Amino acid sequence: MGFADAAEVRKYIGGIFEAAFEDPEIGPKLRDTGIVLQFTFTEPDSVVVVDAVKATVGDSADGAAPGAVMSMAADTGNAYWQGKVNLPLAMAKSKIKVQGNVASLLKLAPLGKQLFPVYIETLRSDGRDDLIV
Amino acid sequence: MTAQVTEIERTYDPVSVSPLAFWAGTWEQRERSFKFLRDERPVSWHPPLEGALMPPENDGVWVVTRHEHILEVSKNPQVFSSARGVMIEEVPDDINEAASSFLVMDGPRHLSLRRLVSSAFTPKQVARIHDQIRRQASAIVDGLVATKEGDFVSQVSKRLPMWTIYEMMGLPEDQRELAAHHADGMVSWADEDVAAGREPGEVLSEALVTLLQIGMEHTERRRAEPKADLWTNLIHAEVDGQRLTDDEIASFFVLLSVAGNDTTRNTISLTARALQDFPDQKALLLQDFPGRITPAIEEFVRYATPVMTFRRTATRDTVLGGQQIKEGEWVLMMYASGNRDERAFDDPDVFDILRPTNNHLAFGGGGPHYCMGNFLAKIQLTEIFDQLLHRAPTLRLGEPEYLTGNFVRAVKSMPYTL
Repeated sequence: MGFADAAEVRKYIGGIFEAAFEDPEIGPKLRDTGIVLQFTFTEPDSVVVVDAVKATVGDSADGAAPGAVMSMAADTGNAYWQGKVNLPLAMAKSKIKVQGNVASLLKLAPLGKQLFPVYIETLRSDGRDDLIV
Repeated sequence: MTAQVTEIERTYDPVSVSPLAFWAGTWEQRERSFKFLRDERPVSWHPPLEGALMPPENDGVWVVTRHEHILEVSKNPQVFSSARGVMIEEVPDDINEAASSFLVMDGPRHLSLRRLVSSAFTPKQVARIHDQIRRQASAIVDGLVATKEGDFVSQVSKRLPMWTIYEMMGLPEDQRELAAHHADGMVSWADEDVAAGREPGEVLSEALVTLLQIGMEHTERRRAEPKADLWTNLIHAEVDGQRLTDDEIASFFVLLSVAGNDTTRNTISLTARALQDFPDQKALLLQDFPGRITPAIEEFVRYATPVMTFRRTATRDTVLGGQQIKEGEWVLMMYASGNRDERAFDDPDVFDILRPTNNHLAFGGGGPHYCMGNFLAKIQLTEIFDQLLHRAPTLRLGEPEYLTGNFVRAVKSMPYTL
């Protein structure tokens, strides 16, 4: 099973960043990156835009243009946020496509690592063991 | 054992190796700092290296400058682990995993994967490789002597290592230049000329992803059409009853590309220049090339030190050089300093091809991660200098242009005339 619809993608993957902004340790570091990052998912089609400057998570880049756009299947995104996808290897296989500033994604890496357990715990607490890789 | 243990204060050493400017400076400038540290504070605490790809997660790093301590770290992998990364600045885990293969492993898994490559080097195969390298070195110098001037790195130094590593893999010739170019990108992202306005992370990512793609395509190629080469062996090899995944093989490709290209190339460039700067040594070598080339090569690699640094991570609290190292702290080995340590080498700044003992660190300080390609490097250096010294006696080299970076001591270009 995967995500049922775009709203679920938004809820879970967008939710990671909402939790990150609220975290007293991770939140300020995430804002410091100053990045606007757009995720474009397929199966189901959905868009999640994270604006680190405004500390917002939305479904369109209605403010600043994204510095980087990561495109992938929603299943890949789900696995990525559980620490199960290696970004350079996924890019080499075109499972994840990155347009824009890849360097900014590398700077997010240490924060991302701290968010993996948060994401997995959210899935568990919602009874979504089917999404756990 | 160390008799006296200093309770360290976590204050940064004023002679810092952390700034980008330190690595953008000359070898001689760095050596002045290293000598001071070797004499006064051989194991010292420094801020995380500047110019990393991501915000540092550590407060500081230990810098090890003496030969004896580098040996101690290298030969004690239970305490000084490679599994948490070997680059001296902070690199995302994903990149370490995709780029470094068994270089960032410890224990049995490391040995098994390393053995997959080393097992390809039977005496018969080494003899065959040696013949091929001899012919290739000759062809490269054929090309050189047909010219009057040019860039020595692209005309000579780059070609033999690139040909050797990719010939062993069976990589099609039309892929080799591209692969070698991106192998360079893996070690040169801190250099402003190479980056040309891009962020270091962009340079590294493009290099890594492209190398992985070339490696993956080559795996598919060899799966469809097996040949008697290293790549076919890797695809069919089993470790603990399991074949390697395509991702693991692609990571192998990146590691071998960097290790095969960016080390011997720079040793060739730096040695060619050293033989010009020390004409007495060149004359000594020419007097008895077959008899002296073997010890001379040990000096070539000591003097060049193409790999300047590697890192380990302490797996437990320990003591090194009288300093207390805590579990999880980074220990940076400065091979560039260890290879100039007066305690290990008489007149370390002198290029002396007949050193009676030469326990250099150019292939590492021993232990399980000792350079497995060292014999290939020695074959290449023997053959290319046999050709160069005997067939291009009028070769004159200009000033090398050095790469900015803290890992390989690289010459980007060096003009020549004949």
